[in-house]
Amino acid sequence: MSTIHGETTAALSSPTPQPVKPVYTSLWRQSLRRLLKNKLAVFGFVVVAFMFAACFLGPLFSPYTDNKINMAFMNKAPGLKHWLGTDALGRDVLTRVLQAGRISLTVGLASMVLSVFVGSLLGVIAGYYRGIVDQVIMRLADLLLTIPSLPLLFILGALLSEWKVPTDYRMYIVMLMLSIVGWPGLARMVRGQMLSLREREYMQATVVLGLRDRRKLFNHLLPNLVPLLIVIATLNIGGAILYESVLSYFGLGVMAPTPTWGNMIDAANNMIDFQDHPWLWIPPGFSIFATVIAINIFGDGLRDVLDPKQKR
Amino acid sequence: MKKQRIVTLSTAILASALLLSACGNNTNDNGAGNPANAGQPAANNAAGDTANNGTAADPAAGASGVVTASDLSKLPDIAKKRTDTIIVGLTDPSGAFTPYFQQSGYDGNVSSLLYTPLVKVDDKGLPIPGLAEKWDVSADNLTYTYHLRKDLKFSDGTPLTADDVAFTWTILHDKSYDGDSLVNTLNIKGGDAYKAGTATSVSGIKVIDPQTISVTLDKPNASALTLLGSDVLSKAYYGKDYKQGQLDYMKKLSGSPLGTGPYKLEKFIPGQEVRMIANENYYDGKPKTEHFIYKTAQGDTWQYLETGEVDYASFSATKENIDKLKAMGFVNILPYTPSNYGYLQLNLKHPALQDKLVRQALTYGLDRQSIYVDAAQGAGQVANIPSSPISWSYTEDGINPYKYDAEKAKELLDQAGWKAGADGIREKDGQKLTIHYLGSKKPETDIFIAVAKEDYEALGIKFEPEVFADFNALVSKVEGGDYDMASFSTSLLTDPSDGLLQFVDGEIPGYEDPAFKALYDKGLATSNIDERKAVYKDIYKLLNDQLPVIFTSYKKSVYAYNGRIQNLSVSPFNGLAPSLPKWTLSQQ
Amino acid sequence: MSTYITKRILYMIVILFAASFLIFCLYALTPGDFITGNIKLTPERKAELREIYGLNKPVIERYAIWMKNAFHGDFGYSLSQQKPVLSLFNQYIWNSFLLAVVSTFLTWLIAVVVGVVAAYKQYSWFDTIVMVALFAAMSIPSFFIGLFLIKMLAVDWKWLPPGGMLTTGSNSTGLAYVREVIHHMMLPVMVMTLLGVGSLTRYFRSNMIDVIKQDYIRTARAKGLKERKVLFTHALRNALLPAITLVGFELPALFGGSLIIEKIFNWPGIGQLYMQSFSLRDYPLLMGFTLFIAILTVIGTLVSDILYHVADPRVRL
Repeated sequence: MSTIHGETTAALSSPTPQPVKPVYTSLWRQSLRRLLKNKLAVFGFVVVAFMFAACFLGPLFSPYTDNKINMAFMNKAPGLKHWLGTDALGRDVLTRVLQAGRISLTVGLASMVLSVFVGSLLGVIAGYYRGIVDQVIMRLADLLLTIPSLPLLFILGALLSEWKVPTDYRMYIVMLMLSIVGWPGLARMVRGQMLSLREREYMQATVVLGLRDRRKLFNHLLPNLVPLLIVIATLNIGGAILYESVLSYFGLGVMAPTPTWGNMIDAANNMIDFQDHPWLWIPPGFSIFATVIAINIFGDGLRDVLDPKQKR
Repeated sequence: MKKQRIVTLSTAILASALLLSACGNNTNDNGAGNPANAGQPAANNAAGDTANNGTAADPAAGASGVVTASDLSKLPDIAKKRTDTIIVGLTDPSGAFTPYFQQSGYDGNVSSLLYTPLVKVDDKGLPIPGLAEKWDVSADNLTYTYHLRKDLKFSDGTPLTADDVAFTWTILHDKSYDGDSLVNTLNIKGGDAYKAGTATSVSGIKVIDPQTISVTLDKPNASALTLLGSDVLSKAYYGKDYKQGQLDYMKKLSGSPLGTGPYKLEKFIPGQEVRMIANENYYDGKPKTEHFIYKTAQGDTWQYLETGEVDYASFSATKENIDKLKAMGFVNILPYTPSNYGYLQLNLKHPALQDKLVRQALTYGLDRQSIYVDAAQGAGQVANIPSSPISWSYTEDGINPYKYDAEKAKELLDQAGWKAGADGIREKDGQKLTIHYLGSKKPETDIFIAVAKEDYEALGIKFEPEVFADFNALVSKVEGGDYDMASFSTSLLTDPSDGLLQFVDGEIPGYEDPAFKALYDKGLATSNIDERKAVYKDIYKLLNDQLPVIFTSYKKSVYAYNGRIQNLSVSPFNGLAPSLPKWTLSQQ
Repeated sequence: MSTYITKRILYMIVILFAASFLIFCLYALTPGDFITGNIKLTPERKAELREIYGLNKPVIERYAIWMKNAFHGDFGYSLSQQKPVLSLFNQYIWNSFLLAVVSTFLTWLIAVVVGVVAAYKQYSWFDTIVMVALFAAMSIPSFFIGLFLIKMLAVDWKWLPPGGMLTTGSNSTGLAYVREVIHHMMLPVMVMTLLGVGSLTRYFRSNMIDVIKQDYIRTARAKGLKERKVLFTHALRNALLPAITLVGFELPALFGGSLIIEKIFNWPGIGQLYMQSFSLRDYPLLMGFTLFIAILTVIGTLVSDILYHVADPRVRL
């Protein structure tokens, strides 16, 4: 049913520490070439790269700083002086959107990578070793799924405040802790996929061949998981960027007046701003949208290249 | 992949709803009946109490600046179709309608229509007859005698007598009473004994005849007249299961109120509507409009007013809001200043802040005009004393306005011995001058932090803001004592002493001033308004100079209501309850 | 199979006990309590009230009392609303359930249809447009979608009511009542469906793409079966199988309520009730609700594990 393709491309993502053989390098090149051929994916990558460049370099060229208050220029519509208008404190929206992107992009990507890593690691372990290991991990997952997040975030907020963790670092600690607590969903899914994969014919073949655990896991099972993980990861990026604003709500994210995309959108969350000051929420909203879509397109391309089952 | 989404989404949704709740509470004053619910925590802000206090007058309240509807033909059809029903939006009534026992201010709005107090206050804050037609205060200001009107009836037709009043006052002294009425703090003679269970009645409460009741205090308190002169609970209805020390049964009655107000409860639909119907037993005659509905309205209320689903709503008085309301054409707009004030609590246990000069410098050095007036688009006014401009005790005479002046602030800091260190931050005795600020998450806090950070850093003060997700979390952090400055706002105030309570009852730890305490008692020792005015002026001067807290702002709101409603007025102290019985809908 | 289920149910009970204790501690440790937020109270009165409510007792003791009562079916009275917790649930939960059931059904329906078509026409215009729309829905916060639809459909065009569940003051009964509720739930259901449909469509699309490339589909085509038949009987069934396991996870979501949607559209649901109770620290209500959802979650995972085995019998439980 499943093809033998799994065998060949499997080596791609092999993190085995042995000296890299030349054949792998050419496979990497081959994949890269295939990726470059996918125009859409390249486009996605270019957009993401552009976002990064604009956010990290853009503010340097702005005549404004992100937090400079100017009461005389409150809620001004976009114009020559302020290309994207100003907010309720007369701050330049363009500068703030770019400045905000630095944090939003970093946080979005970092938390995505982290949560996918933790979740898939536990899922793979549970699904591969089964037995008592599986039982412990999955029942722990069940328990964690029943925990309400609201009081948890409040308690975290209080603790970090108690321990006098500087507000700038709190967000990263919280993101880390949330991916530690938030793994059950992904782990269950990865485990399910593992259970199904290990019953496939080619896995039975590896048993017959007497392959070692590590080889089975890294060369045959993981590569088949990669497409799934890419889809999950890219889908979650938008959520992660928006989630940052939720955290800052708990005093766990970025502290005002530092802007993030999520914060900026939330600040415009009412009928008046929605109707009368669209320049307050369209720029950050569009930035998230563009980032999410670009990363997903790129992810799709990557998935196509890395998926052992895809035809070429 | 869906599984993962569900997990993260549910967390995100939970929390963003919080965002919404915070924004909703502040950008729009949803609770139409109770303006003070705006910017206040939704909890425990009993409007019922608004109706209770109040002693004297100043004509400066509300009525000026009314904008009448320009084009009633724009009125949506759905509103036109209603001929005997008025609908008002209210953030979130929960269905517990027993006064004194309810926990939410929104329920207080409802019960203020279901019950009538013994003593009302007029638009100027002066006490006027309610269920009591008159009252006497003894010469020593200790005994209050209330004379009830004749033939008073509860809404079920049963008679109301002095026994019911005595019952009401008595159960507020029960040891199991868990509400927030202040009646049990008035030091009524024998109140403590009753609470301790050593007496079976409160000795200070005397029923003289079915229409006369008197109460004797141990210590004079000018706010007692209206505090005691509040709603009356039927003894026959609320008292039939009462045993001293056991009030649990009251919960069972919370959804089926029996009152004396202009309206009685018809039906409560949880999360949707409180339907009320005119009370034919109301002492002042059955109200003109048969049906009155409080509609639960969370979040934005614009759409409900615009589509005609509600007849009346309240908004923050920003220029944009007012312009938008004017453009609607079919609403009358009534400006209004709630009777509370905002302040920055300072941690007086910290050495730097014990120095009056530092506190003054922090006030001079903070651009309050920008934060509370300009950034709020005019929906605010800078405060300098603990009293609202609509109160009779308000004064600006001899009050330092602490106009924004960075130079003056620097001077004061220099004078206090805080000199700029190598990194630009001021130091004294090796300690850096740092302000650790606590706020709760809402748009105003973000504005405050943005401006305050800029202002204070320009003075050489390190400003470290910290934001908490809800009011409860903020208060508990403040109670822990690990802070320098925190934003708060009082609940609605009626008597001038209400706004001073926090300086005497230990809510602001570290503030002990015998001179202030003496003045505070003096202000309550007499019922004479002119004498009291003079005392409060001294108090305000004292506090304005000492600044145990930094006074920040008064909010400004507008009411917008359907132009068809006639005879509508809003009392600054009682909301819409007093004029509601007279409201009519003009037909056109 | 049956021994497996017995074993899982035993585990489930243990997990629920652990969860109830953990949840109780979490709420108890959340900064602030029911009394803290009332700014009108003096410090002495606050202490007095904590005594009355038993909030000054150690957490373990409070938990024991709560657990004992819960075993007798008594989940207590809401502190703020003064009604039994269970009757409050009954008043609110069905409203949330109504929205959730309808929108979940629509979400799945749309996701399956759109996902299948998009997969079949991978990289076509249809596929691209659908994907862009889905990403837009996923990257914009739900309150904006809500505000937007209210502004367009309710305020400007007056097609639909802006919120609530009934026309205010309405006394309709029977069929008229049903029609009124349907009219009012259209906007919230629309938004909820829009929000949920994105990731599920992606899921079906990628499953379908996998399946279409499998050998047996090629075989079916080679046999000369009609394309539609190949797609909707052979391919779809196999693409749907893994999704069955997701059904179990919808269980808690059906009763959990949706905070944002309920707030924007003024819907009298349990999500709002939970939120208010949380900001007031109304412990009995919070505890009752969270435990209820926890029970559903644990049952949901069990159901999805069993379904997983049903969907793919090769997987041993």
